[in-house]
Amino acid sequence: MRITLTVNEVKRNVEIEPGETLLELLRREGYKGVKKGCGSGDCGACAVLLDGRAVNSCLVLAAKASGREVITVEGLADDGGLHPVQQAFLEEGAIQCGYCIPGMVIAAVDLLTHNPNPSEAQIREGISGNLCRCTGYVKQVEAIKTARRMGEGTDD
Amino acid sequence: MALTQLKQYLRPTTLKEALTLLQEGGKGARVIGGGIELVLFSPPAVTTLIDLSKLSLSYIKENEAGLAIGATTMLTKIIEHPAVAQYLDGVIVGMLHQVASPLLRNLATIGGSLASANPWSDVIPLFLALDAKVTLFDGKYHSIPLSDLYPTRSHLSGSILTEVLLPVPASGTAASFHQFSRTGFDVALLNCACLVKVDAGRCTVVRIVAGGTPRLGAALPTAEKALMGMELTDETIEQVAHVARESADTRDDLRASAQYRKQLTYVCVKRCLQEIRDRLAGEKQ
Repeated sequence: MRITLTVNEVKRNVEIEPGETLLELLRREGYKGVKKGCGSGDCGACAVLLDGRAVNSCLVLAAKASGREVITVEGLADDGGLHPVQQAFLEEGAIQCGYCIPGMVIAAVDLLTHNPNPSEAQIREGISGNLCRCTGYVKQVEAIKTARRMGEGTDD
Repeated sequence: MALTQLKQYLRPTTLKEALTLLQEGGKGARVIGGGIELVLFSPPAVTTLIDLSKLSLSYIKENEAGLAIGATTMLTKIIEHPAVAQYLDGVIVGMLHQVASPLLRNLATIGGSLASANPWSDVIPLFLALDAKVTLFDGKYHSIPLSDLYPTRSHLSGSILTEVLLPVPASGTAASFHQFSRTGFDVALLNCACLVKVDAGRCTVVRIVAGGTPRLGAALPTAEKALMGMELTDETIEQVAHVARESADTRDDLRASAQYRKQLTYVCVKRCLQEIRDRLAGEKQ
């Protein structure tokens, strides 16, 4: 079957199998920033924004994304540079192996979009669906706090 | 690929059309809400999926009957809704924050959470305690108590769950939900939801529901009876929690032993009733 969806603000018309997942579609189409980790909704490495909300793309049928807007980690940066969350992760050194980071950044973007001034507890809950096996999450939490400060005074 | 046998993914725009597709699709046809479990468990017999997302069933409305939530409303939208935050001291929001992760709550729908009847569900025990009603469409609309939907779910065969209604709480009512899991993300080893209405200091309506026992959430009638007509004192709460421990039909599974679950029932019921007492005390002030 054919579906049309928007990926990183580009309209795409693609051929899919009815039973394949959004994760499989996105990786096949070259969005390799979307990682396949557990494939069962536990690790969050495959997180993308679907109509602005972070979801595990491994558990979304590609057909379900028809007519909807998908943003992957590749779509966050613009010509002006990195997204504030990406910049904050860089500045805080919140990365070791990096595998979890695209999903973690996507979850943080959803969190800060819907709650621009989260408490530490809310930040920790916001990334509770994203597993990191290198760090103890401390740097990521710090990075999201930094991104929270960067967001202050903006219209977002 | 998740669903290898899937041949059709359909997006009806009216409920009647969705029902016709479901009935004509036979055994291989399923409705899909968030779709998490369909992808996760990939039932091999599924050949047709009927997506409900174009049926305008994503809503939260306050009316004279209570809080009506459309079946395809995602859990995050329920958490964020101000009327839900106000309902019985935010008991629903508190429970939903303990369900899975934000990423999954952005997919999961309330209709799917109720219709899938997972024994570890946190939503079902609380909604049972709150006396929720569900609306089913089989060509006509039927409203039935959520408790009638279980344990067989036979009402769901050939019909579509369209709405859940949480009734307006009577004055003097409070509710509470507690669960215990190994991590914040994992499913509950046991959960418990209670609702109590107090008139002139005495409990006149009592709901005590335990879930993840490891079977589907169900009332503990002996414990409910033990609290009826009583005052919510420390001694009574202790006694009722003890009755709950003894009467809960817990079982062993890979997550926990029956004995451990009995102790969790005691602890969760006790915490629920203590919180209800505190909430009722706060209401008077």
